[in-house]
Formats: sequence, C-alpha cells, structure tokens
Amino acid sequence: MTAQIAIEKFYFAYKATPPGQVVLRDINLKVDKGSFTCLIGPSGAGKTTLCRAITGIVPFYMGGRYAGDVKVLGKSTKGQRVSDIAMHVGFIMEDYESQLVSLTAGEEVAFSLLNHGFKPEEVEKRVSWALEAVGLPGRETYRLDELSGGQRQRLLLASTLAVEPELIVLDEPVSAMDPDGAQSLYSLLASIHRRLGTTILAVEHRMDFLLPYVTDLIALKEGELLVADSFDAAAPVVYQDAELRPLLPTLWQMKLGLEERLGLRLGNWRSEEEAVEDLKRRGVRAKEGTGHVGS
Amino acid sequence: MRLAAFTQIIVTLAVTAWVFILPTEAVATILVLELTLLLYIKHDQMTLAAIGGLAVFTGLMVLLQLLFGTPLIQSLIGGLRMLVMTMAFLCLLAACRIQDIAKALVEKFRLPCEYAFMLTTALRFVPNFLLDSEITLDAQSCRGYSNRQNFIKRFLAYLVVIRPLVMRAVAKSETLALSMELKGFGNNTYKNMPPEKLNILDYLVLLLVLAGCSFPFWEKYFLGA
Ligand SMILES: Nc1ncnc2c1ncn2[C@@H]1O[C@H](COP(=O)(O)OP(=O)(O)OP(=O)(O)O)[C@@H](O)[C@H]1O
Ligand SMILES: [Mg+2]
Repeated sequence: MTAQIAIEKFYFAYKATPPGQVVLRDINLKVDKGSFTCLIGPSGAGKTTLCRAITGIVPFYMGGRYAGDVKVLGKSTKGQRVSDIAMHVGFIMEDYESQLVSLTAGEEVAFSLLNHGFKPEEVEKRVSWALEAVGLPGRETYRLDELSGGQRQRLLLASTLAVEPELIVLDEPVSAMDPDGAQSLYSLLASIHRRLGTTILAVEHRMDFLLPYVTDLIALKEGELLVADSFDAAAPVVYQDAELRPLLPTLWQMKLGLEERLGLRLGNWRSEEEAVEDLKRRGVRAKEGTGHVGS
Repeated sequence: MRLAAFTQIIVTLAVTAWVFILPTEAVATILVLELTLLLYIKHDQMTLAAIGGLAVFTGLMVLLQLLFGTPLIQSLIGGLRMLVMTMAFLCLLAACRIQDIAKALVEKFRLPCEYAFMLTTALRFVPNFLLDSEITLDAQSCRGYSNRQNFIKRFLAYLVVIRPLVMRAVAKSETLALSMELKGFGNNTYKNMPPEKLNILDYLVLLLVLAGCSFPFWEKYFLGA
C-alpha cells in the first residue's frame, strides 16, 4: 500500500513556544491510502498541531521552527501553499463556528465547490446531495444562525465531503453533537470511506464512536509519538499507559483488562455483538432469566 | 419577473445623481416612491427604525445648515436630497440579498472578490458577535462584574467585557482567514457562479435610468428653458 501521509523525523515549535521546548518531537509515521486512522492523546499532546502539519498550516502558514519533512499525497508540504494542498486534502478544524463563511447553508457548501471549479449544474447537484448525506436535506436556504451547533458541524462536513477530497483530516468533528448525532456522522464518514476509498484521519476523544470503522491508531503524548500502527496492534501498547488508557474504546479497555488479568486471548472486537459472540463461544453463559448475553 | 441585482444597483446609483439634476418636485416624488416601495417590501420594526433614524439625522443636518447661515429653502432641499439618497440605499438593501449585490459588484463592476466577500462575511458574523458579547458579559458577571453603578464607572467596568470580546474576534478572524484558504477562496469563487441574466424588465428600467440621467439635455433642447 502507498503512504498517503509520510512524516519523517519531524520536530516543531510555535513562534510563541519558549526556546528549548518543542511541541512535536521526532515524529515518524505513515498513514496508508484508504485507511481510517484515529489520532488520540491527552489535551495538549499536539494532536491539533500534527493535523496542521499534515495540511501545511504549520510551519509554512503560521510560522515557527521545524526540522524534518512531511509528505502528503507523495509531495512534501514544503513549497506548497495551504490552498494548493487543500485542493486534495479536506481539513475540518476544531473551531467549527468560525470556519463557516457564508450566509446560508446552501451557499456554504457551494462555496468550496465553486472554488474547486465545479460547473453551476454540478454544484447544485452536489449541494443537495451533500446536505442530504449529513442529515440536513432541503436546508439550502437556512441561515447559519438558524442551525444548531451540531447542525453547523454537519454543514461543515458537508462542504468538505462535497468536493470529494482524497484525504480528510478531522479535528474533533463531533464535539458539539449528541451521541446519536456523532454516531450517525461517523457512520456516514465510514460509508464515504468505503465507497470512495477516501483516507480518513480523525482526532477523537470518544473513540467508542469509531471502533467499528477504525483501521489504524496513532497515539501522541506530550508531543511524542507513543505508537502508530494498525488498531489491533496499537491498542495494547496504549493500554499499558495509564494516562492514555481511558482514551481507548470502552469495549477494548474491558477486553485488554480481561486479557491481562485472566491471561486470555480474546478476539478483536469491533462491536458489542462481536464481543457477545466471542464470549459465548468461550463458554460464558448468562444466568437463567437475566440479561441478554446468552439470548 | 424580478429585477436583477445589477439593475437595482444602477438605479440606486442613478437616484444619487438624480437628486442633483432633477427638479425638486421630482426629487420629492422619488422620496414618496421610495417610501412606498420600502414599506411594501418590508415593514418590520427594523425598517421603521431605520427610516426614523434617517429622518432624525436629516433633521439635524438641516438644523446644522441653518446654523451656518444657509437660507431655509436651500437647507430643506439639501436635507431632502440627502434623505432621498440614503433611502435609495436602504431600498437596495431591503430588496436585494447582500450575496446578490456582492456577486453583481464582482461580475459587472469588477470589484476585487476579497472586498465583495467582506460584505457577506461581515453580515455572517454579526449574530456571532452579538452572541459572543452576551456570553462574555455573562461570564464576567459570574466573576463579579456589575453594571449598576454610575455612567463613568460603568463604562470603565465595561472594558472587562470588551477586551476578551476583541480577543475572541481576532482569534475568530484568524481561523476564518485560514478556513478561506483551506476552502480555496479566490477569483474562482465568483467566476464560477452562474452569470446573472438581464431580462426585458431590466432593459426597460435601464432605459428609464438613461432617460432620467439625460434630463438636463432634453430640458435644454425640448422644454425650451
Ligand atoms: N498557535 C499556537 N501558538 C503557540 N503555542 C501553541 C499554539 N497552538 C498550540 N500551542 C501549544 O502547543 C501544544 C499542543 O497543542 P495542540 O493544540 O496541538 O494540542 P491538542 O492535542 O490538540 O489538545 P486538545 O485535545 O486540547 O485540543 C500546547 O502546549 C499548546 O499550548
Ligand atoms: Mg486540539
């Protein structure tokens, strides 16, 4: 598989970072084409900074000190403008509020499409498709202040999806959504990922939403890479770190805990159903008339 | 059939010229037309407040001119001209979406797209700014800020609200700039929009505008003044 993102010996410090300190230290990683990668780490670990590095915003747009190289879609971000990279890479930043630039929902989605040079008829088609896909069908003429926070996050995703970038980087894209909304948004992202083979990199604090879809895991801690590997291989490493452990999906915290305490090897569960099946196969039975574990 | 934004802008500009070249009676008639039009399109509180504001402002201007020794009639005519001009822009804003105005300005008047976009973005962030100021006020109130003192103290105390507000606005505008870069904003934005077509009504109105603007000419040759 070819690497969509390749980072080598990357160090970075913002202009405001005190001398002698760095925000990212010796980052080496690859993200494969067509993968669905989750990026985790405690607050302040440098997740947002890493996303910015991938989209060329640091160091070239915001400035700062750096060493090493970041290659995205086979080209170094060095010497490219943010807007050039953005033609192929969609980036949804943390502050979703200030990223919406138009007056109505339809115009917001059309804005990216027009910038990418789509023809008017195509723009119209894609706008209604994208709004429908994120669960805002027929809201073209809604003013932005007539949408809720969660709906605005969806709108932002719609405007990114509409241009069908090869790679989408999302920095906490569901922070303003309720669990149901977050779940449906990730399942939409997963279906795009399956259908178009889009590579996806998402920063997410609540990994439970991602468990069914995630293929790879990157964990950052205090600016350093703890692990970057397939999810199944990386999760046990993350589990060994007491600070990062709670960031794993609840099901996997349970699985890895059971494996550690009981010396078992359980399956690589991706859903509750799989976990139940696996446990049943191992002879775990519900007591008569309780729960639905055995049913 | 609707008038294109382009035609509406032209008419607005024409009105600003007409107030100087047409006879006073005609200018007064335009004012009546404007008022009727405005109240026909929109008669919410905002519009009424805007009309009232303009009227008061015009009154002040007339007073000021009188103070400087301009004769009454001339002061009144001056006030009328200004009122008609500003009212024309009010009509434009009421009748036309700001997005369409921005588009027409880029398409037909060759305004650089950055400036046109500023028009729409400024409007986009007004609700945000109001919300922000409310949030900041609440947050500072929780920490003991109070506006129940005399005016001076209240003003000084208000600084604690303004400062975080400005900082938030700056941070937001930075994200906005970055976001526009990420969305590939540039000349393409307006170039790729479907062009606005002028229909027969537009041409009729434009003809009328032309006739109005050439008033001094036919006044001289045909009315035999
Ligand atoms: N624009 C900036 N200028 C200077 N320092 C910054 C800037 N942005 C972030 N930092 C610093 O870089 C470090 C990493 O920040 P970053 O935003 O990447 O963390 P994060 O992992 O995204 O955290 P969170 O989960 O809270 O979003 C922090 O110590 C932060 O103070
Ligand atoms: Mg962050």
